[in-house]
Amino acid sequence: MGVAQVPVAEGKSLQQTVEILTRKLELLGAEKQGTFCVDCETYHTAASTISSQGQTGKLMYVMHNSEYPLSCFALFENGPCLIADANFDILMVKLKGFFQNAKANKIESRGTRYQYCDFLVKVGTVTMGPSARGISVEVEYCPCVIANDCWNLLMEFMQSFMGNHTPGIPSVFGTKHDSIYSPADTMVQYMELFNKIRKQQQVPVAGIR
Amino acid sequence: MLPCPENSECVYLLRVITNFAGPSPGIGLMLEDCTSLISVSAHLTLKKNAILFSFSELERLSNLVGKPSENHPLHNSGLLSLDPVQDKTPLYSQLLQAYKWSNKLQYHAGLASGLLNQQSLKRSANQMGVSAKRRPKAQPTTLVLPPQYVDDVINRIDRMFPEMSIQLSRPNGTSAMLLVTLGKVLKVIVVMRSLFIDRTIVKGYNENVYTEDGKVGYCISSNIKFYFYLVTDHATTALLHYQLPQMPDVVVRSFMTWLRSYIKLFQAPCQRCGKFLQDGLPPTWRDFRTLEAFHDTCRQ
Repeated sequence: MGVAQVPVAEGKSLQQTVEILTRKLELLGAEKQGTFCVDCETYHTAASTISSQGQTGKLMYVMHNSEYPLSCFALFENGPCLIADANFDILMVKLKGFFQNAKANKIESRGTRYQYCDFLVKVGTVTMGPSARGISVEVEYCPCVIANDCWNLLMEFMQSFMGNHTPGIPSVFGTKHDSIYSPADTMVQYMELFNKIRKQQQVPVAGIR
Repeated sequence: MLPCPENSECVYLLRVITNFAGPSPGIGLMLEDCTSLISVSAHLTLKKNAILFSFSELERLSNLVGKPSENHPLHNSGLLSLDPVQDKTPLYSQLLQAYKWSNKLQYHAGLASGLLNQQSLKRSANQMGVSAKRRPKAQPTTLVLPPQYVDDVINRIDRMFPEMSIQLSRPNGTSAMLLVTLGKVLKVIVVMRSLFIDRTIVKGYNENVYTEDGKVGYCISSNIKFYFYLVTDHATTALLHYQLPQMPDVVVRSFMTWLRSYIKLFQAPCQRCGKFLQDGLPPTWRDFRTLEAFHDTCRQ
């Protein structure tokens, strides 16, 4: 429901900061429930199509989330989000003429999935290629379908283990009003987080969805 | 022939009888047998006299016992106290216990019925006058109201609360089953018996409430364990609280009013501690009177 970035604690390594976070969660009473992975591949619009249509190159992101193993998410920045079956990747290979994979830009977040009462918490390390770039924390409150309704409740929960790194309300929530929260909203937040981390040159930071 | 060491006469007698039945023996033998027979009969007479004596003794003793007193508080069952084999069958003490408990039960039931009759629902007090007309009719038949009447009451309640939609179905016979959808917060399955609420199950808004054949299923429990389990618990408490057998429609309305207070389920902090979470759970309790939100542990 909320994805955020947590900055690396002063004088600590990224791995140590993750450990501090997870220890706090475990002290709260959260139970470890395996691992999770969110990955994101970037596609450029092929040069040929740009010149013919006179448009500037748009980036498309194809993402996977281990929480939805049968789905594949394709997003444009500020644009629509398409939820497709997992074999969408094969289709992208066929569309090589229009979209080219920027392999170097592949970014992913991997970590542990925790459950605390009805909360799902995923603390992950964001890596781009070989280097770890930041920490991501995703918090979801399962009983609630309207993100705006339970934001205050989420905030209180996040404060209990993130302290003063608790994020502000994500921008996706602003446009949602009273509509039902969907997995696509989570992916948009991950995409924004990954974009932010890409721009931060090698400075490790954490993000919250 | 079985040996009878104590009564050798009996053995003998039997032998004589078999001899009579057998092939004709010599006359000398017969005379011998007759004398034995006479001695046996003398013995039997002696025994008979002893029995008669014992019997008259018993008669005399039984007269001494006298008539059991009729004014014993437990009547004939009071005689059980005279049973000397107490240890094996403590019937009497058990009987006394049973009487004691039944008296206590009667006493408490009396007190409870007195209290329940006094405490009418405050919120519905102004409707008393309206329903008073209908009451004499409804009272004897509250358990078997016509389905049409139930439909009307539910429809009226449905119109009362715009944020709550009530869908009535009768998947199993005449008993109604309500699917109450409260905003985008939760769904409640209410099983009715006539106009009495029999059972409630609270589920998440995005959970499936239908069984495979498209009926509302009441056996499906919520996947979101903690929260809705607690709310289900509270809803059951609520339906026990709102009881007014004479006016079942008022009960349903009161229950729905209470249920509607869950519309702010995730937005209302606890009125006592001011926090949203306690042990990872939000305020699930709603006060029956004020409808304010409290944590389960903060409500006292």
